[in-house]
Amino acid sequence: MSHLAVAEKGAAATAPAASIRQEIVSLSQITKSFGPTLANAEIDLAISAGEIIGLVGGNGAGKSTLMRILCGTMWPTLGSISFAGQALSFAGYDTAEAQRRGIRMVHQELSLCANLSVAENFFLETPQDAASRPGWRKLYRGRARLALDAVFPGNEIDVDADVGQLSIAERQMVEIARAAATPGVRLIVLDEPTSSLDLDRSRQLRAFIRERAKAGLAFIFISHKLQEIIDIAAQVVVLRNGRTAWRGDVADTSIGKLVELMGGDANSIHQHGTAVASTGGALVRLSGTLTSQLGSDIEIARGEIVGLAGLEGSGQKDLLHAIFKPSPAKDAAVSRTGEAGFIAGDRQKEGVFPLWSVLGNISIGSLARRPALGLVSDRLNREAAADAAGRLRLDENRFGSNILELSGGNQQKALVARALVADTPIILLDDPTRGVDIATKQDFYRLCNDTARSGRTLVWHTTEDAELLACDRVLVFSGGRIVKELTGAAITEAAIVGASFAQQADKRRDAAHDKAGAAGLGRRLVNAAPFIGLAAVLAVMISANPAVASIFGLDLLLMPALSLVLVAAAQMFVVGGSEIDLGVGAFAGLISVLSATLLYDQPWLGALALAAAVAAYAGLGGLIQARKIPAIVVTLGASFVWVGLGYALQPTPGGASPEWLTALFGWSVGFLPTSIILIAAVALAVLAIDRLPLGVVLRGFGNNPTAMVRSGWSPTRYALVRYLIAGLFAAAAGLSLTAINTASDINSGNSFTLLSVAAVVMGGCSLLGGIVSPVGAIAGAVTLSLIGALLGTLNVSSDFNAATQGLILIALLTLRGLTAGRGSEQ
Amino acid sequence: MNALSAFTLWTQKNRWIWAAIGVLLLWLVLSVVTNRFSLSSLSGIMLSASFLTVVGIGQMFVVTTGRGNIDLSVASVITLSAFVALLTIKGQDANLAIGVVAAILLGLAVGLLNSLLVVGLGIPAIIATLATGYVLATATLLSNKAIPGFAVSPALKGLATGRISGVPIMAIIAILGVAATSFVLRYTVFGQLLSAVGQNRTAARLAAIKNGRVIAAAFIISSVLASLDGLLLGAYIGGAFLEMGQPYLLQSIAAVVLGGTLIFGGSATALGTLFASILLILIVTTMQIIGLPPGAQDIVQGIVVIFVLALAGRQALARRASVDLTDAAAAKTEPGAAAPLPK
Repeated sequence: MSHLAVAEKGAAATAPAASIRQEIVSLSQITKSFGPTLANAEIDLAISAGEIIGLVGGNGAGKSTLMRILCGTMWPTLGSISFAGQALSFAGYDTAEAQRRGIRMVHQELSLCANLSVAENFFLETPQDAASRPGWRKLYRGRARLALDAVFPGNEIDVDADVGQLSIAERQMVEIARAAATPGVRLIVLDEPTSSLDLDRSRQLRAFIRERAKAGLAFIFISHKLQEIIDIAAQVVVLRNGRTAWRGDVADTSIGKLVELMGGDANSIHQHGTAVASTGGALVRLSGTLTSQLGSDIEIARGEIVGLAGLEGSGQKDLLHAIFKPSPAKDAAVSRTGEAGFIAGDRQKEGVFPLWSVLGNISIGSLARRPALGLVSDRLNREAAADAAGRLRLDENRFGSNILELSGGNQQKALVARALVADTPIILLDDPTRGVDIATKQDFYRLCNDTARSGRTLVWHTTEDAELLACDRVLVFSGGRIVKELTGAAITEAAIVGASFAQQADKRRDAAHDKAGAAGLGRRLVNAAPFIGLAAVLAVMISANPAVASIFGLDLLLMPALSLVLVAAAQMFVVGGSEIDLGVGAFAGLISVLSATLLYDQPWLGALALAAAVAAYAGLGGLIQARKIPAIVVTLGASFVWVGLGYALQPTPGGASPEWLTALFGWSVGFLPTSIILIAAVALAVLAIDRLPLGVVLRGFGNNPTAMVRSGWSPTRYALVRYLIAGLFAAAAGLSLTAINTASDINSGNSFTLLSVAAVVMGGCSLLGGIVSPVGAIAGAVTLSLIGALLGTLNVSSDFNAATQGLILIALLTLRGLTAGRGSEQ
Repeated sequence: MNALSAFTLWTQKNRWIWAAIGVLLLWLVLSVVTNRFSLSSLSGIMLSASFLTVVGIGQMFVVTTGRGNIDLSVASVITLSAFVALLTIKGQDANLAIGVVAAILLGLAVGLLNSLLVVGLGIPAIIATLATGYVLATATLLSNKAIPGFAVSPALKGLATGRISGVPIMAIIAILGVAATSFVLRYTVFGQLLSAVGQNRTAARLAAIKNGRVIAAAFIISSVLASLDGLLLGAYIGGAFLEMGQPYLLQSIAAVVLGGTLIFGGSATALGTLFASILLILIVTTMQIIGLPPGAQDIVQGIVVIFVLALAGRQALARRASVDLTDAAAAKTEPGAAAPLPK
């Protein structure tokens, strides 16, 4: 495939010279309906090599739908697509096909796996060149370096760093570079690519686009920042209500005209807020290091609109959250009097309650501040919400609709209404107009003025500098501090940009680094815990009974641990996919029963039954993925099936181990305990799988399945693979049980289920998925299986076995939680 | 056709109806096929289902807090509570008050421990309640050695097994509990906060909801209900035995999910949990009547759970599809870690 792609690229590169630009892809008469609404209606869009098309339109204009259709993530209701003049049926057109044909999209929401390195993320996009042998990463490391430096010179992004450690802007840069570097790419769709980039990076990106366009690469550039569109695009397409409102040369248009075409108000972007005389004392007070560069504290009074400016990620959001929930410390840099309400700009992640109606989404604002046992009245909620909605021009008839049925702009209005019904004196705004159409913005600006006039304080973080002109005061951030305070007429875009860039941009990088370093040390200590624990347990046992240290003694102790080690390995792969298998122990028990009965009596039938069992186990994984159902409950249900099957086959413990199976676990090399060799072999196998490209893909799915799907990976296939690997390890555990016990009992594996989860967690794997630690998990499994023997050595009743295991688990997780900071948000 | 779509819409908001229809159908089939089913056998099933309903309601609160939260400690709490009842009541009605207080205290203690681990320390609920279950298992083993005997207080026995004009007292308790729960979920601030927290935790926090308290309340409710259930169950079976709570682990989760409570959190139905409990007990009873071996019963229960989830998965899928389109939900990346505020 890559050869072909290179050839195509070559052809494309020569095309502009021939002055007739070669058409890459063409959509014609695209219509897409969602129920009664038409998202796209008869849209034609042809893109030729070397073209830069600016795509603009308000919310709900149909841009996203059109791009999804172009990239194969959605099929249109009507219409056709053709590549270089050759028509193609949509039936065979999906993400993978679009990518084969050189179409790449950089999504507005980032599509990277945060748990993988930059280089590994490059691999996910172009896996064809990876071979499953050591050193495959090197190729992608080099490719990532080249690509990043080509688009963003001087970026200093470490290609071996986990993406999760990068700032939002850096992630955006990685994503853009990744798309641009794909071999064979011919058209790149950039959806709001500059939303989190600062001016410099944005300029670099535009320079890169121009340069690559000369070489024949085509771009579709989607942005709400119209001056960028005017700057970069050669052609502009304006969508409105799902139809093409205009297409033409950029020379024939202007920002004003585009706004008009999009259906907005071409006049004044917004009015300047008029401050009321501050009444009463300050509501918010900022001091300490936050304001150290200004030399004086900042007090925010009633009726003020205060804007927070600066480069993305310079501390504006942190200030909003600090005002929302001030640190209880007496000398905290941020303090407030009066309650604060929050309006989130990231609606899906931080704003909407997806199961509720619009009304429910609004009313929760006031409910949250009432006593928990208070009663809820729909009528009162409706009255309160109607008032807020009226001021926002949000149609009251939509109150009953599910919030997700509304357009982005209207969803945002509902969120603003939520803050209004909460009726707090302070309102915090976190980039609320992000991705909102101009008409809604106008309503919003008007409301801000009204709200401030009524005596409330607005603290407003925005990424659109022009919006700051509506503020009474602007605080410019750099490196987590306020470096400039602008008031009244001094607030100009030039002044804001100047102040943002004037200050040391490297300070923040140092701060982030220090924090990562300290956390890294703590994390390393906790990660070493299973090994330290194992050493401690062994040390205690050897000091109590030196015979333990002999080869025979170690074998006696560790051989029973082997089964748990294998189950833990199985569990680790499932946990790596952010799932938990509550049936894995029972499954090992079933395999044990099968091997001691069927396999012993009728080897062929037995082998067939074992294969069928593993296939069923893998199928369960596929079912979980395909139906998107929670693994915990499904596997808990499956555990009953496994146990039931085992009972049916063998009502009471018994059976016998096939000779070859016993021999498989019973050999000896003399100088090393067999059990240690076997456990080490399991560790190696797990480690090898994890380091293979396959392991990277599995971890990618554990972290960000959406991104994986966008890169063309099949979730169901890899769910099957994941559970197949887990099933094989669990089956090995079942065989080891039979071999070690020379008989089988369906209940012999039950205790392993929970112990394996404990071992995996002890070992340092994240239950959120994506982060696995094979050796740690295995050390954890060995430690846990030794607890019983340890208690015996210490003359403690075996009744305390379970409690000890539970307490160890709690202690480790507590330590982990403390070192990693408050990872999970409650 | 219009009526059908109206009905579909209605069932989407009243998901308990499926469990109710299941009960009705299975009941009709059994009555016709075996003619051994009568109203009196229904009351027996209601009695068994009541014990499941009580712990199921508790489990429902935890599941509704979202993020895959499940209380795995309920089984251990039930068992331990039954033993604690034997230890404290000693078969004397006079000690009943102490026993009830002890059961409530046990529930509160376990619930607080679970909340501390989940809310305070940020440990995933499954692991936290699993660990708590381990600790309780040891406590149960120790109480098993300490119990004086299997005498049950007559008053408690009367409550757990008695009937008022043919209707089991336990069933009345369970139904009242379900009614109260439905009211709390629908008409109190707490019910709304619980749903909000279950749907979108970040949004809930930014709407000024104290998530930690809401989640802690759910875990405490679950443990207290499980503990009271254990007390009554012990009285019902006339004693206590190790592992007596074990079946309630899967069954309580199954009752919640079968009933129509969303496993992803945010939406609960107490009525559904009640009907699903009856349905589950009906299925088990049916298998016993048919004479299936215990192994087969396990298999059928397991398959029912998987099957129902696979079916319900489609509904959830349809709902979620619209979210997924616009949502970057899967990206578990925490934004803006670059520039912390100076301390």
